[in-house]
This record gives sequence, structure tokens and C-alpha cells, in this order.
Amino acid sequence: MSYYDIDSILTDAQKLPCTFELEVPGLGILEGNAGEDIKAGTRIDLPLWLGEMLSIAARIGTSRLVTLDMPEALSERVMNALKADPRTVDLRALAPHFYHLSERILEIFEEEEMVDVLTDTFKRRAAEIADHAHNSRGAVGDGVEFLRGLDEAERQLFRAAHDRAKEMRIWAGEAKRK
Amino acid sequence: MAFPLPRGITPSEIAFLAEMETVTIVPRQRLEGLELLGGPVEPLVPPRRASLPLWLALLLKRQRRANIIPPSWLHPDPLGLILEVESQHQDYKNSFSPPPPLPALGKKPIPEHNTHQMEIDTMLHRRFYLKILQLGGDFTKETPALPFHWVEVGNMLLDAASDDLVEPDQIRRLLKDLREVRMSKMRSGVDVLDAAATGGGGVALTGVGAMELGEERGFVAGVVDNLRKIGASKEQARREQLADQRVNGEYSATQDEEEDYMEF
Amino acid sequence: MDIDDILASVDRGTGASPESAAIDHQLLTRFWAAERAVSEVLPWPAPLMERMMDRVRIQIETIEDLASSSTEPTKSTNNPNLNLRLSILQTDLARTQYLLRSLLRQRLAKLSKNSMHYLVQLASRSKNPLADSQSQSQSQTPSQSQPNSQTLSPEDSVPDISSVSDFSPLSEQEASFVHAHQTLLASHYGGSFMGAFPPQLRRLDDNAGGTSMVQGPEMKEVVFVRCLAKEIPVVIPDGDSEEDYGVVMRMGDVWVVQWEGVRKAWKRGEVELL
Repeated sequence: MSYYDIDSILTDAQKLPCTFELEVPGLGILEGNAGEDIKAGTRIDLPLWLGEMLSIAARIGTSRLVTLDMPEALSERVMNALKADPRTVDLRALAPHFYHLSERILEIFEEEEMVDVLTDTFKRRAAEIADHAHNSRGAVGDGVEFLRGLDEAERQLFRAAHDRAKEMRIWAGEAKRK
Repeated sequence: MAFPLPRGITPSEIAFLAEMETVTIVPRQRLEGLELLGGPVEPLVPPRRASLPLWLALLLKRQRRANIIPPSWLHPDPLGLILEVESQHQDYKNSFSPPPPLPALGKKPIPEHNTHQMEIDTMLHRRFYLKILQLGGDFTKETPALPFHWVEVGNMLLDAASDDLVEPDQIRRLLKDLREVRMSKMRSGVDVLDAAATGGGGVALTGVGAMELGEERGFVAGVVDNLRKIGASKEQARREQLADQRVNGEYSATQDEEEDYMEF
Repeated sequence: MDIDDILASVDRGTGASPESAAIDHQLLTRFWAAERAVSEVLPWPAPLMERMMDRVRIQIETIEDLASSSTEPTKSTNNPNLNLRLSILQTDLARTQYLLRSLLRQRLAKLSKNSMHYLVQLASRSKNPLADSQSQSQSQTPSQSQPNSQTLSPEDSVPDISSVSDFSPLSEQEASFVHAHQTLLASHYGGSFMGAFPPQLRRLDDNAGGTSMVQGPEMKEVVFVRCLAKEIPVVIPDGDSEEDYGVVMRMGDVWVVQWEGVRKAWKRGEVELL
């Protein structure tokens, strides 16, 4: 993670399901009950940075404070949908920083198969992004919906491809006008 | 912001580089030799041919002070042949046609082609030779190949010196078709880009043109960087495994040495 | 005339020959393209840059002389090509100046983006042991070497490079630029918001929480290279002792590879950045 990178910061703010293994006095504020205790077994969605910190801190100690679960965006259901056809999944609705989130999650959980699914997903969607980016007429038909469902990393990719294609056309166009 | 441009040279900067390529001209007037920052320019004495950087050739051409001799590849026949290879040849379905050989690089060794590449070159060469003979043209020893700056040089010469080209409209059409065929190859190459995402890996783009690279570099770099990050955890696991293997391998290697020693 | 002057005049002699002008121009062009292609600041090519700046200065004088002679009616009738020659020389000059400006601005952009990284790197080679320990203090307790932590300001975390003599990969001017830039930035941060923080949170080189505030260039980003040697294996970078190699590039090949995998080959001149 990069200190000044706004995308990393936003990624770390995304929520993760966490289960408290121990009772924690006075931490009810996380559940919206200020002043109350948190009971063992309570399940709360916490920001990634906090959940990770609590789970790691627990590892050093004798008993676990919090166990982390896969976020819904990376659930079995989503993985199956991505395996079926990655281009029809609205990643942005799942998580605005879908890939960044996955990268962080994969640092915590060892999920080799998920790496393969996501790699394939990214490649197949990238090919589609390239096609749209080089289309000088802009997004049309199904394209509009696909582009709306791009996550932040994909949007940046689309922009990079689109800007270069546009510069190229400007250069070629200017060369003809002279 | 000290600098507004994105990393990696942009299309207009690539064209700027292409203007440093050398072309041959036939001067229409005399001009004494010049000492330029880019190197010396020979005196121009009509009708003796001279080699100049493209930007200077274009400057003279626009003022009707010279005619440009089109480079050997910028003719309908070689372009047609390259297009045929690019679009129909089985071996180049997913790659670009071979680039021209590198100019001699001082004491650097001569490139060593693998035999397969050699066969293709010879075959291309023969077909080109036959075709030129059929058309009654001159035989040139060089296999037709697109130079690194083909898009820019082609575009600029069509723009400023179309009257010096043979069948400029045909050339324009062929260049456009070539661009389309090759761009679709570049884009369908996304599938193999993860090879560049692991340490020590890479993807060959040999034969690619400067402008084609310029147009796709942001996209390709973005794809590879994202694939690297997605695969980071797996790459880490792979490296640890490799490190383990190396430790084991070294162990067995020392054992082998000992055995050899024992035999002595 | 002592030996240094003689050697200097010999150097100038070769530097001024027309052939070396062409070679230097090509070197500058390649270096510019390389600097535009990678994330880090490449080693400053001091001798090349000095020769180029000398030539530019001389060329400007030549152009001025020619231009003034064109206003004299007697001379201009002697040479009908004078205006053509002038426009060629001016175009050539403008093209070279573009390369130089673009190169310098690209380097400044990288320096301002990763200013702390380059300052820490410079200060780590400082001969002054005091400055040395201060630059390393980022990995230890931040305020250790500060006598009065209550007055600690962001400027205090700007590494001291006053005793540094080796500025590589920067030029001396770039080093003083990046130091002045970071000092101004730190004092602006201090005045606008950091001054309101508790003293221990006013540093700009902290790495608490496992994330360092000092960000360097990403060496794993991909670059596009052309192989200029017979065979170049791509290095698999790893902190460990020996070097491992991955795919092998052949002469004339163009590859997409991670920058750190071909960095050494580039320094040896065996690959060209595209």
C-alpha cells in the first residue's frame, strides 16, 4: 500500500464481516451502542484496516479477538458468476475498488483459485475495455452498461487506452490538415 | 506540476523521433554543407542524391527545393505483400511480421536467428523475389519489412510528399489496412500479458511499430500492472516454493560432488 | 598552460567534431526517451549534458552572427541561401532545445513526486556521521535525535544533504532543487496544518503502522525494450544473494518486461528503452 495513494486509502475503508471471539467491554460503539459491551460471537462489518488490525493483534496474543470473513463482493456466488461470464458482472456495484480489495484480501487469505478466477476476469474484461476505448463514437448499446460496471482500476485502464487512442487520432488528423 | 505529460512518449513525441529518421532526397537547388546540433549535413548538389533527416527533407520539400525518394518499403508491392503475410500467414496469426534487421551496431555481434525464423525469412524473400520478377520490377536484395517508424514516416510522406510516391492512394489504403490488422493482433494479445506480470517474465512484441506501441502502451502497462498486483500473493507463494527447491537442489548438488570425489 | 588545460582542450577538440555531434545527439535522444519511459530518475549523464549545452551555446552564437549578417545588403546578395540556412539552423536548435527541456522537466517531475525518497537516498551516503544517523532515524524512534520535541516541525524531517558530495543519480543543481523544494513544502505543511498536530505526528518520514511515508518509484512497472545484444536474460529480482534469470531476449526483439528485470542491462547499454 502506498501512503499517499487515494485508491489504497479508499480500499482500506471498505467493509469486511468480522466476528468477535471475545467479549470486549465498552466497544459497543462499533455496533452503534455507545457505552455497551460487545458480546463474543457478535458479527459486525468493520473497515478493512480496523478488522485487519484487530485480527493480527489477536494473533500475537493468546486468543483471537476477531476472525475475518470473505466480503460479499468476493463470495462463492460472485466467483461462480465471474467464471460463467466475467463481462456481465457489475463489479462497481460489488465494490468500487473491486480488484484493490481482492488484492488486500488475498494478502490475508490464501486463495489460489481466486487468483486464477480474478486474473481471467481481468484479462477478459480488459479486452472488452480496449474495444470500447478505441471506438471513437463512444459507448453504444450494451457497452454503456458494461462501462458503468467497471471498477476503479478498470476505469483508469479505460481512460489510459482512450486518451492514447484519441491523441493518436489528433496527431494523424493534424498531419492531414497541414 | 513540473511536467504535464504522462510517462512514456506520446504520439506527437513519437512523430518527433520519427522525423530524425534518415531519408534520401534529390535536391533541386544547391546548398552548402551545414553543421547542425543533430550532426553534419552534406552539401546539396543537384541532381546528386543526398541523405538527410526527415524533418529537414520535409522542410525542403514543402519549399519545393527537393524531391524525396520514397523508402523501399513504401511502395504498393512490398506493402501488399506484408499485408498478405500479416493477415493470412499461419505463422503470423498472433504476431507481427518480422522487423528489418538492426543496423550494424559497432562491435556488437550479429543477430542469430533461430532456424524456424530463418526459414520464414527465406520463404518470404523468395515469394517477394518472384512477385517482383512477375511485375517486371527490379530485384532488391532486401526482404520487405516495416521499419519501426512506419506509421509516422508513411503518414508524413503521404501528407507532404504524395507526388513523390508511387500510387499514393493505394499506399494510403494499404497502410490503413495494415494498421487495422496489426492493432487487432495487439488487442487480442491481452490474453498472454500475464507472462509479463511475474518477475523475470515478459511478452515479446517484436515487429511492433513505434506509434503502435505509443497508442497501446498505457493500456498494456495498465493491464500488466494490475495482473501483477492480483497475482502478487500467488507469486509470493511460487517464490517461496522456488527458494525451497533451490535449497534442496543445492543440497543434492553437494551430495553429487561428494560422490564424484569418492569415486576418485 | 598546465596539463589540465591541455587535456581540456583535447576534450573540447573531440567534442566539437561533427561526427561526435551526431553521436551525442543520438545519445541525448535515447536518454530522453528512456527518462520518459521509467519511473525512477536515471543517472545524470554529466559529460554528455555539458557537451550538449556547450554546443547549444555555440550554435546560438552562430545563428546570431548569421542573422546580423543577413541585414547587411552586400552580404545577403552574395549568398541567396542565407534565409534558408537560418531557418534550418533555427529548426535544428529548437528541436534540440525541446529534448533538453523535456528531459529536465521530466526529471523535476519525478523528483518532486518522490522528493523524500531521493533526499533520504542522498543523505544516506553523507560523510557526516551525524547527518547519517539523522537520516536513518526514520526507521527508529523519530524524535530521538531532537533535543526539544515540543518545537519539532515538519522541516526537521527533511534530510540534511549539506555534506553530501556524490549526488548520483541527480545533478548537483537537481539535488539542491529537491532539498529546497522539500523544505518549502514541509514548512507549508507545518504552517497550514501539521503545526496543529502533536509533535510526534509532525514528521514526514514516519513509517508507523507498517506504511512508510517515504514513497519511492515503482520498479516493477513494465517498460518496452529493444534488445541490442545477442542474448539478454531478464533478471528475476529478489533480495537474495545470487541472480536468477527468466526469459531470454534476442537481438532486435522488442519485449514488455518489468523495469527492474532489465535495469542492469540498460545501464550496460544492452537494451534500449522505447
